[in-house]
This record gives sequence, C-alpha cells and structure tokens, in this order.
Amino acid sequence: MIALVRYLAADVFRGQRYLAPLLVFLGVMGMLFSSDAGQPLEAYSGSSALLYPIAAWMAVVVATSEDVVRREITVVSAGGWPRVLAAAALVAVLICLVLALLAAVWPVLTNPHPYTAGEFFVGLAAHTGVALLGVGVGLLFARPVLDSIGRTVLAVFSVVVLTYPLGRATPLGWVLDALGHNRVSPSLLGTAAVGVALVAAAVVVGARRA
Amino acid sequence: MGGYLGVVHLDQVSKRYGRGPWVLRDLTLEVSGLTVLTGANGTGKSTLLKIAAGVLTPTSGRVTRPASIGYVPERFPSDVKMSASSYLAHMGRVRRAAASDVLERLGFVGSLTAPMAELSKGNAQKVALAQAFLATDVLVLDEPWTGLDPVAAAELVSLLEGRTALVSDHEGHLASATRVDLAGGHVTIDLSRVSALDVLEALEGVRSVQTVGASVRVVVAPDRSDQVLAEALRLGCSVRSVR
Repeated sequence: MIALVRYLAADVFRGQRYLAPLLVFLGVMGMLFSSDAGQPLEAYSGSSALLYPIAAWMAVVVATSEDVVRREITVVSAGGWPRVLAAAALVAVLICLVLALLAAVWPVLTNPHPYTAGEFFVGLAAHTGVALLGVGVGLLFARPVLDSIGRTVLAVFSVVVLTYPLGRATPLGWVLDALGHNRVSPSLLGTAAVGVALVAAAVVVGARRA
Repeated sequence: MGGYLGVVHLDQVSKRYGRGPWVLRDLTLEVSGLTVLTGANGTGKSTLLKIAAGVLTPTSGRVTRPASIGYVPERFPSDVKMSASSYLAHMGRVRRAAASDVLERLGFVGSLTAPMAELSKGNAQKVALAQAFLATDVLVLDEPWTGLDPVAAAELVSLLEGRTALVSDHEGHLASATRVDLAGGHVTIDLSRVSALDVLEALEGVRSVQTVGASVRVVVAPDRSDQVLAEALRLGCSVRSVR
C-alpha cells in the first residue's frame, strides 16, 4: 500500500494540476489574513469555509490524475480497484491534512490576537474535519463513480455551493457556527467523523461502480 | 521469469455495459498456456481481456485468476509526465517485483529519464510491455505488437514462449498458440410484442432484447438464431423480420 501511495502521490505532483487549488488556497488565505481577522477561533471560520471546496477540488485532482487506461494498468498491478481507490483517498487526505495544518498555523503567525495551544488545536481539528468532508465530497463524484469530468465538476460544485446556505444542517455548518461564535463545540469531532465516513463511502461506492 | 503456474478461468461469463447489448454471452474459457484471441472488431476481445485481467467485473459468471497478472491495454496513453525509469521503478515496488531486462531485450532506445509523453509510440509500447512482464503468473495483452518494429515484435514472440498469456493478435504472430475465436456478426429478429421478454433474454446466444415501437427486437449470435426463432414461435410470437 505504501508503494502504491508513493506512486499515486508522485503522479499527482508530476502532473501539476494540484497547483491550481493550491494557489487559490494560498491566495485567498493571504487575503483573509492580510489584516485583523478577529478573535482566534472566529478567524478560523474563514479559512475553514475556504478549505472545504479546496479539499474537494484537490480530491478530484488526485482521483483523476491518472487517465483511464493508466488507471487500469495500476488496478491490475496493485491487485484490484479497492486497493487503488483506498490509496488515492489516502493521498488526497494527506495532501489536505497538510493544507489543514497550514490553515491552522497561518493566523497564529499573522493575526494580532494571541493564540493559546488549546485554540490552535481546536482550529486544527476544525480544519481537519472540514478537509475530510471536502475530500469525501470530491471522491464521491469523481472517477470511477462519475466517468465524465464535466459531470464531476458540476456535481461537486453544486454540492459545495449548496452546503453553505444550509447552515447548521450540515457538518460544515456545525464547524462554521462554532468557530463564528468563538466557542469550542464537540460537533467538531462529529464533522471529522462524517468526513471519514464520506471518504470511506466514496472508496466503497467507487469500487462497486468500477 | 519466475513460475508460470497461474491459470485464468472464466466460467459462463457475460458482459453488457449498462442496459446496452450483450458484448459477451456465456463464455467459458481456461487460459493455462499461450492463448490467442481472434475475432472481428467489436466482438468483445478487449472487454474479455479486461475481465480476465480484473479491470472489469462481468455482469454474470465467475472469474478465477492468480495474484500476479500483467496487463497491456490496447492503447498506452501518450501524455504521461512521469519518466519511463520512474514509472517502472514505481510499478516494480507496487508489485514487489525485481527489475527485469525486458526493456533492453525489446530494444528500447531513447531517454529513460525523459517524460514518457516524449517517447515514440513504439518505445512507449515497450515500456507498457516491460511493466506487464514484472508479473510472475499470467500476462493479458491487448494487441501488444502495436507500434513495435519487426525486431522488437520477434523478441516479444520469444519472450512469450513458455508463459501463460491471453493475447489478442490480429496479425498471426503466435502461430503455435491455442486460438480462441470470438464469433463476430449477429442476427436481428423483430417479433410481435411478447410478454415473456425475460425468457427470450435468458436464451443462449441472445445479446439484447429491446422493445421498439410495437415490436420486440432480439439481437442474437448467428449460430443460435434458429434456436431463438423456434423458442419465439413456441412462445406464440409472430416473426416480422429476420436480418
């Protein structure tokens, strides 16, 4: 599995399609924290709202990095679709966890309000949960679940856009509500649990659909 | 090249994509040596190879296969950013296989460190073959001679000697191999509307049954059309056309 993860990660980084979501993430983060972003936890709500679509985008990049034919070769070499899809999910999660860590550290360095260790770890947990949600949404609508990249983009975009107005009805809303009110909430763990479940579901659905 | 003890066994395998026509129907095949698939375009050779390799799941039927299978698709992608050496090293680690000399034996010339997108079609095909030969049990090769020069083509024949492989081959490179011909063509029978569509659909050789206006259109393998016609008449249908 480690060899497979290394191969898929190398393919993603060689392909450079990851640069678009990464640069959008870095650019918007720069804008968000260019001035006083508010109280410590409140400041994390903007970056959490940003990381969700970026993680979904990154997951689609990872899932579609290999073209269909090369993916077939990889499936045969690795011994089946479930292993390849699980490895691809792991690559997407690892990349997005790095972004989550970056998003948690950024305001600690730039926001004029001092951060306690507890606030930092709450922020990290919130970003981790949101990143997992985004990866789950991205993988659920990427190849091999949906074969066409056009339908993938449309489905992921629709789900991501619809998530925000639903507010506290979604796990993303739980996180944004808690951070926006500058409070710690156990629902942050619930968001991470839903994110893990979505990623696992995406692997299972993908393996059945392939 | 390791042990060649693997056997691929397909038992009553059928395949259709979605609700489309049957591409394969009730195919039973055992690959225990060098086996060549022949048949006209569109007779399901590539689909059968993908099922044998484990890329596709059959709609019905069972497939048993060994753990280590090497697969070469019909067209190796031409826009791969990774270099050949990096790709083969990764595939070797994924398979936990030792490096082989297949690339050298096939006469690869060019840069192993340049992106594969810069390789010629023939050299890219040699890389595709080299990754497949990392497998120790069975090879599944879809028109593997595509793009190879005559010397490399002859060397590939030599490499396949003694191996267990399922190969689609239009050009007759493997004269001594066991041949499996996927019958091409079909007969289309238009019947009056019939309620027992599922009975017709279950008949051997039937590839699709679709309602078209007031008729039922049955697409069937040529060698089974007489039996399907007889069964349709037994079900009380009237035959509108056979073509």
